Amino acid sequence: MLIELKDINKTYDNGQPLHVLKGINLSIDKGEFVSIMGASGSGKSTLLNILGILDNYDTGEYYLDGTLIKDLSETQAAQYRNHMIGFIFQSFNLIGFKTAVENVELPLYYQGVPRKKRHDLAMEYLDKMGLAPWAKHFPNEMSGGQRQRVAIARALITNPRIILADEPTGALDSKTSVEVMQLLKQLNKEDGITIIVVTHEGGVANETDKIIHIKDGIIGEIEENRQHTAWTGPLVK
Amino acid sequence: MITDILQEIGSTLRNNKLRTALTGFAVSWGIFLLICLLGAGNGLMNSFMGNIEGFISMSVSVEGWYTSEPYAGYQANRHIELDEGDVAYTQGRDWTGVIYNVTRSTTGRSETLAYGSHTVDGYMMGATPEYQDKEKLKLTAGRFINRSDVKERRKIIVISLAQAKELMPSAPEEIVGRWINASSVAFLVVGVYQTDERDWRRSVLIPFSTYKGIYDSSDKVDAINFELSGPSNLKEYKEFNEAYGSAIKRRHDIAPTDERGIWLHNGYVENIQMNQAKNILRIALWILGILTLISGIVGVSNIMLISVKERTHEFGIRKAIGAKPKNILSLIIAESVTITASFGYVGMLLGMIACQVMDKTVGAKEVDLGFQQIRMLVNPTVGLDVALEATLLLIVAGTIAGLAPALKAARVRPIEALRAE
Repeated sequence: MLIELKDINKTYDNGQPLHVLKGINLSIDKGEFVSIMGASGSGKSTLLNILGILDNYDTGEYYLDGTLIKDLSETQAAQYRNHMIGFIFQSFNLIGFKTAVENVELPLYYQGVPRKKRHDLAMEYLDKMGLAPWAKHFPNEMSGGQRQRVAIARALITNPRIILADEPTGALDSKTSVEVMQLLKQLNKEDGITIIVVTHEGGVANETDKIIHIKDGIIGEIEENRQHTAWTGPLVK
Repeated sequence: MITDILQEIGSTLRNNKLRTALTGFAVSWGIFLLICLLGAGNGLMNSFMGNIEGFISMSVSVEGWYTSEPYAGYQANRHIELDEGDVAYTQGRDWTGVIYNVTRSTTGRSETLAYGSHTVDGYMMGATPEYQDKEKLKLTAGRFINRSDVKERRKIIVISLAQAKELMPSAPEEIVGRWINASSVAFLVVGVYQTDERDWRRSVLIPFSTYKGIYDSSDKVDAINFELSGPSNLKEYKEFNEAYGSAIKRRHDIAPTDERGIWLHNGYVENIQMNQAKNILRIALWILGILTLISGIVGVSNIMLISVKERTHEFGIRKAIGAKPKNILSLIIAESVTITASFGYVGMLLGMIACQVMDKTVGAKEVDLGFQQIRMLVNPTVGLDVALEATLLLIVAGTIAGLAPALKAARVRPIEALRAE
C-alpha cells in the first residue's frame, strides 16, 4: 500500500476542543485515482493537510510508501513534501513575480539541483503540458487553465509518489475544468501516477475511479467508480 | 547557489521598487554621513600631524638643565652639563631595552653666514649622520654629513633652503660645492635641506668633531640622542625613563626627587600617546556614524517585517513545495544584506565624492596664524581599509536588520499555502 492511515485522530483546540478527525482508517494503492469528497466542515481539508504533511495528527499512524510520517521536524517534513508529494491547489499558488518556468523549477531549487538541469527539466514538463511557448510569461499573463497546467507541471517535476489536488477545478470555468480533469486522468492512466483529489463537487469526484466519502470526521461509504456513473449531472455546477 | 539566491532577490526587489528605494535611502544616508565624518576626521588628524611633524621623532633625547633642590653639598639652581662620560655610560650599560644609534649634538651658536655680499643668520650646531633621520631632514640638493666627515673633521656645512635662497637668490641649490664664511672660518656647502614657509628652523649643521675642534674643546655635550628597542608599551617606556633618568641623575649628584635637573624627552611615549588620541577620535567618529546608521537599519528591518507579512502566502507555498525553514531564513537575510549593502555602497561612493569636494574646498584653504600658515584639513579622505571596514559593517548591519523578519518568515506554516488569497 502506498498510503496507510491507521486510526488517525486530530483535535483542534481553539479555546474549545474540536474533534475534527475521529479515527480515520484508509488505504490507497499505487496507481489509484481517488477522490475524497465531503461538505465543508467534514474534515476533508484536515485530512488533506495530514496526507500532505502540512499538519500533524494527534494519535494513530500514517505510512507513506512504507515510511512512518509522525512527529517530524519542520526540516524533515519539508524534505518529505519536496520528494514525495506534488501539490495542486485550488488557487494555483504560483509565485506571481516568477515566470512559468521559474515556478516549475522551484521544487528542484530546494533539492539543490543545478540551474541548467533544473531549467531543462522544467521546460520538458511545460512542453508536456503544451505550455513551452509560455515559459517566459508571468502567471498574470496566463489564463486560469494555463496557470493550473503550470502548477501541475510544478507538482510533477520532482517525480513524487502522490499528487494531492485540493479542489483543482475550484477556480476554473466548466470547460477548463473538464480539460484539467482530463489531464489528471491521462496522467493517471498513461504514467501510472497516484492522484488524490479533494473536492466537494460530485461531478469532479465522478471523474475518479474511487470516491471516498467523509462526513463529520469519519470515513463513510467508499464507492468504486470505474465506470464513472456515480454522478449524472455536469462536471461542475 | 549564489546566483540562484541573487536571482530570487532580484525578482522580489524589482516588484517592490519604491519600497526598496525608500528603505535604501536611509542606509545610504547613514553610510554617507559615516564616510564624511571619517574623512573630515582624517583631514583634521592629517593637519594636526602635519603641523607637528619635525617635533616628534622616534628617539629619546636627554639634556642637562638646572637643579631645583640642593643635594650632596651642592646648591639648588646648579647648571648640569652632560659629557662624553654620559654618552659612554648610555652606550655601555645593558638597559632593559637595547639602545642604539647614540648621537650627541653640541650646544649651538649663532653665526652670520656670508657668500659674497649676501649674508644670512643661522644657528650652527655640530651633528653626526644620525641627526638627519632624527630631525627628519629632507635634502633638496647635495648630501648630509657622513661618517668620514666626522672622522676627518672636515669643514663642510649643510644649510637650509631658506638660507640658500638668501645667499644665492638666482639659483639657491647651486650653492652646493661653494665655500661660504661663518665668522672668518670657511665651510664647503655639501647639502641643502628642505624648508617650507611654515618652517622656523634656521639650523646649519657641521660635523660634530669639526664643531668641537673649532668652537668647543671640552668634553661637554648638549644633548644625547638615541634610539630604543625593547619596551613595547607605555608602561615599559615609562619604566625605562625612570631607570635611565635616575641613573643620569646619580652620575651628576642630582636629588632623585628633582624633576628639573635633567630634561628627558621620550619620543616613543609621545608617539604612543598621540596614537591613543588619534584612536579615541577615530572611535568617536565611528560611534557617531554607526548611531546614524542604526536609523537606517531600523528602517530596513521595519520594511522587511511588512514585506514578510505581505508575503506570508508566498512563504506558505514555498514551504509546501519543499522549502526548509533555513531556506526561507537565508532568503530574507540575503535580501536584507543586498538592500543594505547595495544602497550602502551608493552612500559610500557619494561620501567619498563629498570627501574629495571637501579636499578641494576647505582643504585647500590656508589659515594664517600669524607666525605660520596651516591648512585646517589635509587630505580629508578615507582609505581602502575604511571602505573594507564599512563593507563589513554593512553586511553585519544587513544581517541584524533581516534577522527578526527572517525568523518571522521561517515560522510561517505551510498550511498558509492552502488559504485562498
